[in-house]
Amino acid sequence: MAAINLDSVTIEFPIYNMDARSLKKRLISFSTGGTLLKGAHETIIVKALDNINIKLENNDSVGLIGSNGAGKSTLLRLLAGIYEPTQGKMSVKGRISTILDMSLGLNPEATGYENIIMRGILLGYTKKQILAKLDEIAEFTELGGYLSAPVRTYSTGMMVRLAFSVVTSIEPEILLLDEIVGAGDAGFIEKARTRLTNLIKNSNIVVLSSHSLEIIEQLCNKVIILQKGQLKFFGDCKEGVEKYRKHAY
Amino acid sequence: MRVIYTVQKVIVRGESRLISASHFAKAYQDVINAFKQWRIWVLLGWQDIQLRYRRSMLGPFWLTLSMAITIYSMGFLYGHLFKMDLQSYFPYLATGILTWNLISTSLIEATDSFVNSEAYIKQIKLPYSCFILRMIFRNTVIFLHNVLAFIPLIFIFHIPINGYSLLILPALLLICFNIAVYGNVLAIIGTRYRDIAPIINSLIQVTFFLTPIMWMPSLLPDRYHFAVHWNPFAHFLNLLRQPLLGQPLSSDTLYMVAIITVLGVILFSLLFAKARSRIIYWL
Repeated sequence: MAAINLDSVTIEFPIYNMDARSLKKRLISFSTGGTLLKGAHETIIVKALDNINIKLENNDSVGLIGSNGAGKSTLLRLLAGIYEPTQGKMSVKGRISTILDMSLGLNPEATGYENIIMRGILLGYTKKQILAKLDEIAEFTELGGYLSAPVRTYSTGMMVRLAFSVVTSIEPEILLLDEIVGAGDAGFIEKARTRLTNLIKNSNIVVLSSHSLEIIEQLCNKVIILQKGQLKFFGDCKEGVEKYRKHAY
Repeated sequence: MRVIYTVQKVIVRGESRLISASHFAKAYQDVINAFKQWRIWVLLGWQDIQLRYRRSMLGPFWLTLSMAITIYSMGFLYGHLFKMDLQSYFPYLATGILTWNLISTSLIEATDSFVNSEAYIKQIKLPYSCFILRMIFRNTVIFLHNVLAFIPLIFIFHIPINGYSLLILPALLLICFNIAVYGNVLAIIGTRYRDIAPIINSLIQVTFFLTPIMWMPSLLPDRYHFAVHWNPFAHFLNLLRQPLLGQPLSSDTLYMVAIITVLGVILFSLLFAKARSRIIYWL
């Protein structure tokens, strides 16, 4: 059973300039009563998400759309539990699996196989459980012999194949993907789509962000539109995509 | 240009955030979860070592070899320079270097252990303490490789193995505990202020000379003895050195270690409770 409930959640975070990050400069300004380096400890606070109310249940497949900086990645990190809400309440039930940035949580020096095992353990599985799934995961990546080579020798598409195969093979109850499905070649996108569709059918929640409205229309049944950290729309996919096209937020 | 965020400027200095009970509960939960998820930090720590020595023939036993070279060459050189009796000086220096290596490397690496784990922290929800435990696990494994270089000395200099030797394990655990506590504090500060890491680095280098590692406190005139007595590193060094040499622990060392441990726990609890949820924004 997976469920996500956001109750008027706000996230504010500080963005530090270089002066505020230096202890030396802070000490100097402190000893001179703060007049010497005015602004040294002024920090810009960004309201990345503003009063968001969302309720997601089983079989929900949600597309996140919005322009750059609208808060899509912040929302995904919030759902993953990486950011904690500064205001409001959030409850997330279910085992979470994520691909949130292009580093994908892969270790570039380790081989593909080692990365599969590591990711599995990071997600809370035992080595035995992962080894049992290793062949299946390896097959899905279609990377063959490359799996024995260090990941730093991979192309971006190959890394995405690897990361995607691992996080979807171990049956997450909540899957969070940030701009991932668009990467990789056509064959893989098709495979990824089938796998995601299956995951959604098996009563899991999938939240993915994408700039491609096509991908969202094909994969999602709901849509969240974010603009400047505010929730502009949450509801049926077709309606949302149409709205987004019309308004071009 | 479109304005993307609602931006407001505030001066953080005027802001005061109190630590509530829920802050402490979440910090406590972080530590507990980190221990529950031991597989993660054992794996990451082990992998760190594997990757570092993957392409070398001796593997991690390079550590043993280089430690042996350090100990044996320094033992001879400084034994003669200080005109010390090699029988007592050699084991003293060796145990000092071994212990110092564990403590200093851990503290230096602690300072950027969150910064270096950014790729994981921003990707997967994991307890922050995991990354400290990973660093400690790695350095303990390295220490255990290094200790091998000490074994020949036991036979050469007939170092006694007796009841006091049993204290090696608890002493090691106590040192690791303190590294965890202070390391976590350093990691938090080091993530917030990026100029801390080089400062710690140079402080550690100075401490190496101020701490009785290469020299014996008995060489110091009486009026300067306070410099050893109030040096916390000297006591943590003693804590492991004395059992390794089959000597009883001095009560001075026990008191100091106890005080420093309690202080560390208090400092860690306060800072970690207050800063834990902010660490991610500092990365």
